[in-house]
Amino acid sequence: MQRQLLNTLTKTLRQGQTQMRLFSVSSLQREIFKVQSTEDFDKKVKNSQTPVIVDFFATWCNPCKLLTPRIENIVGEQAGSIKLAKVDIDEHSELALDYDVAAVPVLVVMQNGKELQRMVGLQDEDKIRAWVAAAVKQAKQ
Amino acid sequence: MSLFKLLRARSLVPHRQLGIVAKSKYDFDLIVLGGGSGGLACAKEAVDHGARVLCFDYVKPTPVGTKWGVGGTCVNVGCIPKKLMHQASLLGEAVHEAVAYGWNVNDQNIKPDWQKLVKSVQNHIKSVNWVTRVDLRDRKVEYVNSKGAFFDDHTIEFVPKCGKRYIVTSEYIVVAVGGRPRYPDIPGAKEFGITSDDIFSYDKEPGRTLVVGAGYVGLECACFLKGLGYDPTVMVRSIVLRGFDRQMSNLLAAMMLERDINFLHTCIPDSVERQTDGRLLVKYHNTTTQAESSDVFDTVLWAIGRKGLIEDLNLQAAGVKTQNDKIVVDASEATNVPNIFAVGDIIHGRPELTPVAILAGRLLARRLFAGSEERMDYSDVATTVFTPLEYACVGMSEEQAIETHGVDNIEVLHGYYKPTEFFIPQKSVRYCYLKAVAEINGDQKILGLHYMGPVAGEVIQGFAAALKSGLTLKTLRNTVGIHPTTAEEFTRLTITKRSGRDPTPASCCS
Repeated sequence: MQRQLLNTLTKTLRQGQTQMRLFSVSSLQREIFKVQSTEDFDKKVKNSQTPVIVDFFATWCNPCKLLTPRIENIVGEQAGSIKLAKVDIDEHSELALDYDVAAVPVLVVMQNGKELQRMVGLQDEDKIRAWVAAAVKQAKQ
Repeated sequence: MSLFKLLRARSLVPHRQLGIVAKSKYDFDLIVLGGGSGGLACAKEAVDHGARVLCFDYVKPTPVGTKWGVGGTCVNVGCIPKKLMHQASLLGEAVHEAVAYGWNVNDQNIKPDWQKLVKSVQNHIKSVNWVTRVDLRDRKVEYVNSKGAFFDDHTIEFVPKCGKRYIVTSEYIVVAVGGRPRYPDIPGAKEFGITSDDIFSYDKEPGRTLVVGAGYVGLECACFLKGLGYDPTVMVRSIVLRGFDRQMSNLLAAMMLERDINFLHTCIPDSVERQTDGRLLVKYHNTTTQAESSDVFDTVLWAIGRKGLIEDLNLQAAGVKTQNDKIVVDASEATNVPNIFAVGDIIHGRPELTPVAILAGRLLARRLFAGSEERMDYSDVATTVFTPLEYACVGMSEEQAIETHGVDNIEVLHGYYKPTEFFIPQKSVRYCYLKAVAEINGDQKILGLHYMGPVAGEVIQGFAAALKSGLTLKTLRNTVGIHPTTAEEFTRLTITKRSGRDPTPASCCS
């Protein structure tokens, strides 16, 4: 119900504007979050039926700094059909290594504990949007 | 000794390794203590030859709290950040030179953004830390971020983050824990002074800096600080660049003086205290005149030498022999205990250089696991001091050659030169100098080469291989130089010191 309301409001506000962010903060926090621990990852990513995009990033990586806002935007547009979990690879090195992260940034789509697909490196917004849309579609099957 | 839980390291081995069945009575074939240049090279080479390897790396924070990731001194607080800051300072000079070459840049009052430089340097270092970890994972080297200490000659004891004590056994153990900067035993040294461990991530501008120590660390730091616009003073206890060729060392000091870097010769510090305005008051005295002085600085950087990190290893439990704070090894890096070896800065009496540690580590791993008999050759190791005019050398200093061969049996050829690029911006060529130390007889084998000038490391590297191949003066003279370069000056050496002729060139090519 809350979702429908938001969607209506978003559509209305979108008219005449090129870019729009969801302004309901609490809902956004559930969809986009920074992983705090391995337990947090297990709970919110591995055990999630909703597909989750895991954004493996590093604070010292410039392309990561460019990618994160782009993917946040795009996940926001998906309005709940896919979530975003951000993992700082220095804070959670073992986790990153377990997922074979070498170069960053890496986006990994997970659903029910399984990796569906991944994208390595910074891409432009259209490419990311298409990739996310495809991931959402694949997850629904 | 209190009782503690003894858990086999198997419980710490991640799930992906559980398939491996222990082939021997030991948990591992090789444990390496230290994830720096020597340790990592040894560990990676060993796995290439089928060994099961565990590598420990741990960084004890400095007194002001600085710490860093895996990779050792070179990557984090040594060669890499040093070269980057050296480059930063050279680029500052280049901006001024660019004006002479016609670039419309405003080179008045240019100032570096120290925070931005530090951030860029640290970002690079962190990316190298990560690549190192990925490499260890890819090569299947087990890695633990904790200190390892000897429990006995085949056993290492450690306490990882979870707080539980573990022991792990290995057939061979290689100690590659390296060293850390020394602090003087004077009031205020640790509370108010920093070292090379801290400067590359220093969160404030260094400002007016006192660099205590005139080894290459101190001189390089003073030079890049000057190049970045700060005001360094170098306090020298006795001589500059101990162990290096005297003439070249004095030339280097003169070059720094020409660049307005202050020197306090034959002085030692007595105390450091913080004034009410936050600046540091350093009291020192001159050991020649006995005069006592003091001066105020923003930063005090200790560069008085490095000590080996034997203190937390509990070497007594294995019976490993040490000398001062280093481990004693023979020509095959073996300690007095048959299965324990050491490589890198921790070993006594060998050059403390990354490439030395890397090659020694690799050769050791090959001897242990690939049946090789090849030993490390520690002689004729080329090295470079990265000051604005760099100094690089390979082989003997003039004094060493005189001592080993006798002054009548050697010939020293030398000359000042003028790099082509220096003319237009009118850069000082006063200290662009090189010399070759050779035997006087026969084809005149080259014993040592010394070069001061731009990109000295690049110039000397090839000559190091030539020297190792038995380079003679005859061959050098018959080598056609590449023009215009500074390296070609080695092929143009004709004036001997013995002749007394003026080594300053009048013109360029003839």
